[in-house]
Formats: sequence, C-alpha cells, structure tokens
Amino acid sequence: MTPLIQLNGVTKTLKGQGAPRDILSGVDLTVHGGESVAILGRSGSGKSTLLSLIGLFDRPDGGQYLLGHRDITRLPERKAAALRSAEFGFVFQRFFLLKHLTAAQNVAMALVNGQGWLPRRKRRAKVMAALEQVGIAHLAKQRPPRMSGGEQQRVAIARALVREPRVLLADEPTGALDTETGRLVIGALHAATERGCGLILVTHDREHADRMGRVLQLDNGVLAPATERVGV
Amino acid sequence: MIRLSGRFRSSLIIGGQGIRARKLRTFLSMVSLFLGVMAVVVVQAGASIAERALLSESELREGKDGTVQMYVASHAKAVPVTLETLRGRSDAVATFGTQAIIGEPGVTPVNPGGASFDGPGGYSPYVTCDESGCHNVDAPTAGQPPGKAIELQLTALTGDVRKIRPYRLESGRWLDFSSAPSLSPGIVINREAAKGFARHRVPAEMRIDGAVANSTPRIIGVVDDGGFQPAAYVRADELLTWLPETALVSGRGQGVQVLMAPSATGLEQTLRARLLAAGMPAGQVNTNRVDAREHAKTQLAIMRWIFLGMASLVLLIGVAGILNVGLATVGERIEEFALRRAVGTPRSLLAGIVLAETLLTGLFTAAAAIGVGAAGLHLVSTLVGDREPFLQNVEFPWQAGVAGVIAGLVAGLLGGLIPALRAARIPIATVMRA
Ligand SMILES: Nc1ncnc2c1ncn2[C@@H]1O[C@H](COP(=O)(O)OP(=O)(O)OP(=O)(O)O)[C@@H](O)[C@H]1O
Ligand SMILES: [Mg+2]
Repeated sequence: MTPLIQLNGVTKTLKGQGAPRDILSGVDLTVHGGESVAILGRSGSGKSTLLSLIGLFDRPDGGQYLLGHRDITRLPERKAAALRSAEFGFVFQRFFLLKHLTAAQNVAMALVNGQGWLPRRKRRAKVMAALEQVGIAHLAKQRPPRMSGGEQQRVAIARALVREPRVLLADEPTGALDTETGRLVIGALHAATERGCGLILVTHDREHADRMGRVLQLDNGVLAPATERVGV
Repeated sequence: MIRLSGRFRSSLIIGGQGIRARKLRTFLSMVSLFLGVMAVVVVQAGASIAERALLSESELREGKDGTVQMYVASHAKAVPVTLETLRGRSDAVATFGTQAIIGEPGVTPVNPGGASFDGPGGYSPYVTCDESGCHNVDAPTAGQPPGKAIELQLTALTGDVRKIRPYRLESGRWLDFSSAPSLSPGIVINREAAKGFARHRVPAEMRIDGAVANSTPRIIGVVDDGGFQPAAYVRADELLTWLPETALVSGRGQGVQVLMAPSATGLEQTLRARLLAAGMPAGQVNTNRVDAREHAKTQLAIMRWIFLGMASLVLLIGVAGILNVGLATVGERIEEFALRRAVGTPRSLLAGIVLAETLLTGLFTAAAAIGVGAAGLHLVSTLVGDREPFLQNVEFPWQAGVAGVIAGLVAGLLGGLIPALRAARIPIATVMRA
C-alpha cells in the first residue's frame, strides 16, 4: 500500500538574527491513510518547523517529500496553495478564528479560498456536516468571542475537516485547554482517522500522545520512536 | 473560467466581509479621499461647462472652425453678384439680414428694435451704413401707438447654413432648401422669438421695409441659434419673391455676409474678384477666418491643467490617508492573512482582495463626489440660472463623472498597492509561532 506521506532525510536550516541553525537534520517519516502519529519533543526542538514543512507552509532544504506517488519536495507556491486547500487540514494551539465571523463562516473560510467554487447551498451543507462531526452544530451562528476555548478549538477542527482532507496536522491543539476539554478535542481529531484520514499530532501531553497509533520523538533534528513513558 | 469565477466570487465574499468588519475605517478612508475626488470632479465639470458654453456659442454665432466669413457692405451689385456666384454650391451660404415686424400694421412693436423680451437692454439697430459711413436713423415705427407686433432680425439664407453654424433644432423642422420656393414664406424662429410669440398673440402678417407687399409667414420650426434677441430665418429665394434685392442693401438692410466652409477653396478669391469687377470698392469686402474657438480651447486647457494640478495635490493627501489606514489594517490582519494562506488561499488572491477593498472605497467615494457635484450643479443652476444664461439647464458633464471615477480608482490603486503587496508577503508560519 502506498503511504500517504513519506519524508526521506528531510533537512531544514533556519536563519534568524544569529548564525544559521540546523533545526531538522534528516527526518524520516511515513504515514499511511487512517494512521495517527504523535510527535513529542522539547520546546524548540523543531516540531512546528517539521509540521510546517509537511503542511507545505515552507519547503525543505534537503531530502525528499512524497505525497502519495507525487514528489512535492520543491513545489512552487501556487501549487502548494492548491494542495494545502485540497489535501491538508490544520489545527493550531491558538484557534485562529476570525472574531468578526460566525462559527459557520469561520468553517466556510476553508471553502471560500479561491480554490474551486461551491454554490451557497452546498457550502452550507458541508459546513453544517463538519460542525456536526465535532458536535457543535448548534453554535453555527455564534461568534468566537462568545464561545468557550474547547468550542472554539472544535470550530477550528471543523474548519480543518470541511474539505475532507487526506492529512490532518495539529500543532499542540490542546495547549490552551484544560485536561477534560483536551480529551474531547483529541477525540474529535482521532475520529477523523476512522474515515481514512492521516493524523499527525504535535503535543507535550504524553496521555494524548498515547492515544495515537504511534508515538515519535523529535530530538537533535531527527525523528525516532519515543522511549517508554516514564513516571505518572 | 470556473476557476476564475470561483476566485472572483471568493474575493467578493472575503472583501465584503473585510469591509463589513471595518465599516468605520472604510468610511474614514472615504472621508479622507472625498475632498480630493470632489476637487477633481468640480474642476473638470467647471472646465467642461465653460468650454461647452464658449465653444457652442462661438460655433453658433461665428461658424465652425475654419469657416471664412466675408462681409460685403451695402452696394447695389452685392446681392446679384453674390447670388450668381454661389448658385448651386453647398459649401458656402450667403446671408442677408434685415429687420422685420410681424403683427398688427402701423404700431410700435412690443420689443422695439428687436430687443429681447426679458427686461430692457436689447440693442437697437437703428443705425444704417452706406458708402458715407454709419448714421443713426429714426425707428420706422417711431410715434406709432403700441400694439400687437413683434420685431425681429430676419436673415435670408441661400442654402443650408446649419452645415457651418450648427443651429440646434428645438421643435418643428428646419428650412428645406431642396423644394420649390413657396409664395407664403416658411420661417424658422429662434428660441427668443418663440418666447415672444408664446407671450404675445400677434396676427400672422410680416412687414419688411421696401417689400412690395406684406406677407403671411408660416412658422415651421424653432432653433437654438445662440442668440439672445429674437430672430428668424427664411429661404432667400422665398424672401426675394416679394422683396426686391435692393431692399436688402439699403435702408434697414444689413448687407451681405457670405459663410464659406473650409472646403470651399478658391471661392473667396472668385467672389472677391467678381464683386470688385462689379464696381465694389476693395475696402468694402472684408474677410475673416473663424479660429476664436481654437484660441479659447488652448486657454481653457491651460487653466484646466493648473486647477487639476491643484486638485491632484488635494487628492494626494487623500491617498496618503487611505494608505495609512490600509497599512494599519494589514498590520492588524496579519494573522487573518496567514490563516487564509494556510487554508489554501493563493497570495495573489489576498493581494487582490486588499486592492479590491481600497478600489471599492475609491469607487464609493467617486460615486459620492459625483452625486454631490451633480446635486450642487443642479442647485446652482436653479438658483442663478436666470441671471447667468450659460448656467441654464446645464447637465452634469460626463467628463466630470469620468474624471471622478478615474481619480477614485487611481487613489484606490495608489493607496492599496503597498498594503496589498505587504499582505501577499506575510509568511504562513506566523500562525504557528504566534
Ligand atoms: N524564522 C526563524 N528563524 C530562525 N530560527 C527560528 C525561526 N523560527 C523558529 N526558529 C527556531 O527554530 C527552533 C524550532 O522552532 P519550533 O517552533 O519548530 O520549535 P517547537 O518544537 O515547535 O517548539 P515549541 O514546543 O515551543 O512550540 C526554535 O529554536 C526557534 O527559535
Ligand atoms: Mg511549536
């Protein structure tokens, strides 16, 4: 079976104010459809950087990145935008909802992005289905400032799911939530893998990580299976 | 096609959401632009109105540019020689002017001397000119009791003068020079004369000094000839059936004027030669080429550019305002734009949306400025229109509308370009590191 995503020896160097730093120095990763992967790592180890390469926010400096059979290591921005729209869904630590739009409009944002066009009725149906999936269809007309953190994050997940992506990328989605709400959100993400979606979850929380199919650790710019959980 | 329309519709929705979320800001941008666009509209409107008034008046009174006007002073041979020379030509028209009174016989007309009907101050052409110079003469109706009659300037034409002086037909029809001359002359009156006939009921009997008989004219049409005194036009051949040629150049006849289109080459020399051969003194044939119009146009253009330059400065201040607001807005929307890019919105579309928002602001401003300008013009026209005839019934010039729209778009473009480029350059990773 062809893997959904395959990274071979991916490297990335970031140049800040100081000298260039090798953040990723040869990352190998294979994710199949329906599989869920957790990535752990110290703060500053490069987890977000890795996710931004997988999500085509940025391109690797070296190595190879395959999406299905397609080599997308050096993809021009215009095609990358189209792939972000069609293949990837993102969830961030901060929910990044637009305050002036309702929950439904925030979800529809992923459909109104200049990549293809759905008439209003179809758009609405998809938005409601996505909100239904994360259990907050009743909040469709609510604006983010009047929602709880967990509700907001579930709106963000609905936004990530509304185009039925093949890969779901979540960067510390529970970082701003209490434990109970965090579990709810991880549950909503995990449910997506049951429909064949690949999930890559970056988290600091070992408990959430252990709900994934595989747990990896990013250390010194390389990805390796996580050591057995310690303590607790 | 589908992709394009999808992008276009997406940009409409996103742009609309952006404007709605920042109504006050959009409004303030419009305020900062408004004066500049308004200035451009006003300057352009003023210039267009002045130019139209100046040019159309000069065209109606003098003739189109390049027309050669030849004045032939009163002389017994002037009429027959001119008629003979112009026979069969359509590129030149001779006009013979005289005073005529229409109405009751033996009375002083309501407008002695052919003055305009509104208030005094019309000119009184009780002056006659001959070989020995010009003298005042008594009004022919002096001492007669006032009665129902209208005096007007009657001009006989040998051909269709409208090719040279484009009188605007207001109602009825213009003189038909192709049919056989009628015994009861058809006359076309100007607007001022029409006013007189509308106000005073006068019998249809026309008297001209020197005519063999009074005639019964038929008014067949009304034209705007740019004049403020009552006037009427008649076919020369119809007039000459009951007015001897000599009457046109003696007494109150005003001599002959020949109008030659620029295409009538050689005619000027031919006519002059024949008039001189007929015994006309050379000093009594004067020609003049119409070019006042070009002259006026150049002067107006210079004025217009000076004023437009000043208006552009005001506009520039507005652009700085819209730019300021635009940059601040992009700064606030960094996360939104990064997020939109993350969900697949192409950067060109984001830049387009920012630009479209300011362009729309510019267009709204232009619409407001044009609306205010048109309303203001209407107001001025109704308030002072009766004192300043050139402000009567003026329509808002389309040039001013175009100038306003262009000013709005240019300002939107200038003010939106930099914010748009900034918006397109926001890195997506912003959403991960925030
Ligand atoms: N634009 C940049 N230029 C230079 N260095 C950068 C840049 N962005 C991030 N870094 C550095 O790269 C390293 C990895 O950052 P990254 O955000 O991927 O870490 P992380 O593993 O996600 O950390 P955290 O768990 O705290 O979110 C950090 O040390 C950071 O300082
Ligand atoms: Mg991170």
